[in-house]
Amino acid sequence: MGSLFRCEEMTLCQLFLQSEAAYACVSELGELGLVQFRDLNPDVNSFQRKFVNEVRRCDEMERKLRFLEKEIKKDGIPMLDIGDNPEAPQPREMIDLEATFEKLENELKEVNTNAEALKKTYLELTELKHILRKTQAFFDEAEFHHAQMHDPSMQEESVTLLGEEGLRAGGQALKLGFVAGVVLRERLPSFERMLWRVCRGNVFLRQAEIDTPLEDPVSGDQVNKCVFIVFFQGEQLKSRVKKICEGFRATLYPCPETPADRREMSIGVMTRIEDLNTVLGQTTDHRHRVLVAAAKNIKNWFVKVRKIKAIYHTLNLFNLDVTQKCLISECWCAVCDLEKIQMALRRGTERSGSTVPSILNRMDSKETPPTYNRTNKFTRGFQNIVDAYGVASYREVNPAPYTIITFPFLFAVMFGDAGHGLIMALFGLWMVLKEKALSAQKSDNEIWNTFFNGRYIILLMGTFSIYTGLIYNDVFSKSLNIFGSSWNSPAMKELFPSHIQLNPASQYQGVPYPFGIDPVWQVAENKILFMNSYKMKVSVILGVSQMIFGVSLSLINHKYFKHPLNVICEFVPQIIFLLAIFGYLVLLIFAKWVTYDVSDSSCARSLLIMLINMFIFSYPTHPCYLSAMYNGQEGIQAILVILAIVCIPWMLFVKPFILRRQWLNRPHLMSSPKPADGAIDEGEVVHEDGTTRIEAGHEESEEGFNFGDVFIHQAIHTIEYCLGSISHTASYLRLWALSLAHAQLSEVLWTMVMKIGFVVPTWPGGIILYLIFAFWAGLTIGVLLIMEGLSAFLHALRLHWVEFQSKFYGGTGYMFSPFSFETILELASTEDK
Amino acid sequence: MSDLYFNIESGYLEGLVRGFKSGILKHTEYLNLVQCETLEDLKLHLQSTDYGNFLANEPSPLTVSVIDDKLREKLVIEFRHLRNHSVEPLSTFLDFITYSYMIDNIILLITGTLHQRPISELISKCNPLGSFDQMEAIHIASTPAELYNAVLVDTPLAPFFVDCISEQDLDELNIEIIRNTLYKAYLEDFYKFCEKTGGTTADVMCDILAFEADRRAFIITINSFGTELTKEDRSKLYPRCGKLYPDGLAALAKADDYEQVKIIAEHYAEYRALFEGSGNNPGEKTLEDKFFEHEVKLNVNAFLQQFHFGVFYAYVKLKEQECRNIVWISECVAQHHRAKIDNYIPIL
Repeated sequence: MGSLFRCEEMTLCQLFLQSEAAYACVSELGELGLVQFRDLNPDVNSFQRKFVNEVRRCDEMERKLRFLEKEIKKDGIPMLDIGDNPEAPQPREMIDLEATFEKLENELKEVNTNAEALKKTYLELTELKHILRKTQAFFDEAEFHHAQMHDPSMQEESVTLLGEEGLRAGGQALKLGFVAGVVLRERLPSFERMLWRVCRGNVFLRQAEIDTPLEDPVSGDQVNKCVFIVFFQGEQLKSRVKKICEGFRATLYPCPETPADRREMSIGVMTRIEDLNTVLGQTTDHRHRVLVAAAKNIKNWFVKVRKIKAIYHTLNLFNLDVTQKCLISECWCAVCDLEKIQMALRRGTERSGSTVPSILNRMDSKETPPTYNRTNKFTRGFQNIVDAYGVASYREVNPAPYTIITFPFLFAVMFGDAGHGLIMALFGLWMVLKEKALSAQKSDNEIWNTFFNGRYIILLMGTFSIYTGLIYNDVFSKSLNIFGSSWNSPAMKELFPSHIQLNPASQYQGVPYPFGIDPVWQVAENKILFMNSYKMKVSVILGVSQMIFGVSLSLINHKYFKHPLNVICEFVPQIIFLLAIFGYLVLLIFAKWVTYDVSDSSCARSLLIMLINMFIFSYPTHPCYLSAMYNGQEGIQAILVILAIVCIPWMLFVKPFILRRQWLNRPHLMSSPKPADGAIDEGEVVHEDGTTRIEAGHEESEEGFNFGDVFIHQAIHTIEYCLGSISHTASYLRLWALSLAHAQLSEVLWTMVMKIGFVVPTWPGGIILYLIFAFWAGLTIGVLLIMEGLSAFLHALRLHWVEFQSKFYGGTGYMFSPFSFETILELASTEDK
Repeated sequence: MSDLYFNIESGYLEGLVRGFKSGILKHTEYLNLVQCETLEDLKLHLQSTDYGNFLANEPSPLTVSVIDDKLREKLVIEFRHLRNHSVEPLSTFLDFITYSYMIDNIILLITGTLHQRPISELISKCNPLGSFDQMEAIHIASTPAELYNAVLVDTPLAPFFVDCISEQDLDELNIEIIRNTLYKAYLEDFYKFCEKTGGTTADVMCDILAFEADRRAFIITINSFGTELTKEDRSKLYPRCGKLYPDGLAALAKADDYEQVKIIAEHYAEYRALFEGSGNNPGEKTLEDKFFEHEVKLNVNAFLQQFHFGVFYAYVKLKEQECRNIVWISECVAQHHRAKIDNYIPIL
């Protein structure tokens, strides 16, 4: 419990681990996750460390696993994630693992190469099948033309003409050579263009698309291809065409010239395809079996390998002692965990079978220990809010426990609407109740995770908003009249008057509404005036109380760190300054609320002007709202102002000068006799040398205490505090401003949207209301809950970080990051995604 | 005025490229790399840099060529991402960057086919940044005219090639001439494009391109000594957009040996420094390395200004230099030839 108020007490420890036990011990510590190791060889390269070979082996294993995983995913086999957490295997098991992975990888690779070869043949055969089928059409066409040419019924002239030409060309004119093949569809246009260019238009290309996409055997992608057939004449063109085909990665297939051969071939191809299909099926079955077997264990293996790797990475941080017998490491850990760590070490030593126990030594260190706040699922969110601003300095007061209450409260002051609060609280409650199921889903949606991690904050914010909403008597911008208003209704001229001005002199019954604001204000014309005055004053009261609380926390800090000087020179003037000005203002606010009623309200004192007049020592007597509130006011105010002003030099000068005197009066043991000795021993010759030594000594003392630095530091602090307490008070007025904005926005939404649904009479009104409600509800959730909620959250955050924490919080520490398998595995699994 | 709109169109990409640039290896990382004993060490060390796990899925044993491929692949992925998200005129600018790789690829393929190498082997050696559709069919061409008519006419390089059509066949010398003519036309065109873009882009890029042009002029001159290239032909190869144009180029055209080139460089302050610090003796840096160093400096300086395209060019060139450095170091490590391991060009 103590750790919530300030961080754990940490200690630096030295660990002596027997080399053979080191692995098991580190593994136990990793399961525990309570120790942060320090790098003892920071200037050694990552590849020159001791266990680099083991790390490399782990890398290699991980690579094989990734390969397996990729193959498993490719086949869409579900990977079993039972979420169990196997222990880090012994180093000797590593070899077994390596062998298993090696075997699997090789097996899989072999299957893959086989499958690839088979698929390649399959692809070739399918392509050939398509070629045969498509070219058939081309040839048919050609036959047809051929037939036409040789048609005996054709006219005499044309036949002789053609015949003569054919004869001149050596009788081979009509015997065209051709090449058939398959090319990627997207490359076809440039292929065609190139063919035309290179052969100067002397080739004839026919092409047809293959409708079904084919599978590329290497990458496994689906590709679209085209069948083409090129007719040409002569050997030279043939070689050119072939070169181009090669250039465009077109696959050429032999295609018989006669239809009978083609038919025969295509039958052969079909039977071969069928044979191949069965073989392919067997190969994929085998592959599937191998992968299914691997998929059962792969998550487990990943965890194991990652654990081994983490252990060796940690062992790389250790130092080897001279005898090479044991490893020395330094680590930070919490004092109260020492027992557990000892136990873990003992377990580790036992497990490794070593006889010599591992030794844990506490060490004294001048270094600032890391800050470790133990959290549970409830406090974690609030601790994160604080840590986001800055990690607390070691052992300083931790604002998180106070934030648990003040944060949702200040949020609720700005978000005061019971209806909206209820929705928010229910959402928070749902997340809290379904916690286990939801966190098991491990969504990687960043926005959802943010909300989910802040579920307790949301629940509290919602609950507090219900409370403030009831105080403001605001439920979806409407009021609840539970106890019956304590105001009489004014004499009304019409049934639904557009303005109702409440007049306390005539309408108030004298007994206040028991809880919160009277519902009658909801319909009153002067509601805003009334609420503004109330909310503004409440903001100042809340703000000043929180600041005073913050300053008081600094007293606890000073006392804990034993700085009595800071108590006298910082805390006391600070609290006096704050109380004298703003504490007094708060007092006046309460006095004003209590003293004035409707009869003398015209003389109710204006507090703002009174505060200004207090500083310029002016005390007017009329008008009556500027005159003194009580007897002796002038005297008391003068004293308060003078007190506050005295506090400024008090804060500014006292501490630096006292520190300086302490420094000058410190016992001089070393510095004075030295030059004297030198002078005596070495005579006058070295006198000059002696003086320089004194100077050097003086410089050294200035290094230890630099008055200028201390003074400037103090001056900055003083100015910051004095100006800050004024501006921070003003800053708390955002509580009023945001709550006003929220109330007005929800009221506008009601009157502009929801009200429309009510004004249409009879049954169409119902339909319209039905539609309007959806619109209204959507806007309520989207704008009022989410957007306004975020804005109120941000302002509450700012009030805590700047206005509250600046009073006492250093935030210069660094986080304790223990070596823990859990975090390492989590990190790895998020990286995977 | 164009600065106003720069961020709308290219602000994201500029931010991206500046982010990429900050991942370029620093001096200390080189010092660590140099200490590596094996390529596995190198891999482990690169893991702690911006390269991250780029070698994680490669089975051991690692080879230099795998490292080279992966390095290049990373650059190509980054560049393609930039190109795919760019709009005019940046996309044209990025295309211009790829043209130089296209030229290199074409020359590589022609030379390869000249030596009867199979085309598939050559393709794998080509830089993917400069690949284009018709590239693989390049071996059908046996004369420059065919090359132009069949292959290049559809590529963006066509206008650069017009000057080379007159050459008779594709032999070694002619290929060299084609390469340099192409490059000359390319540089001049790129220079003009940058000038037309104006603003800071012109300021930065013209400087870099002018240096590139001058470097080519110097190197062409020096390499031409003792070959059958005539002075007249040589002078046709000089890109005319550098600081040497016109006087320096005229003088270079008449140069007969290295000393004369050096005397010409004397007249230009920046080149004088490069020539003075170079030499072929052990311990001295070669002129080529000096040029590389100067290029790196110019490219790094490009990042000092904002709202211009020069950073994209500079990034690609710096990254390329880095790949060369890493490959150099890995070669030295792989061959246990540590004497020259420090000869990489540090990127400031």
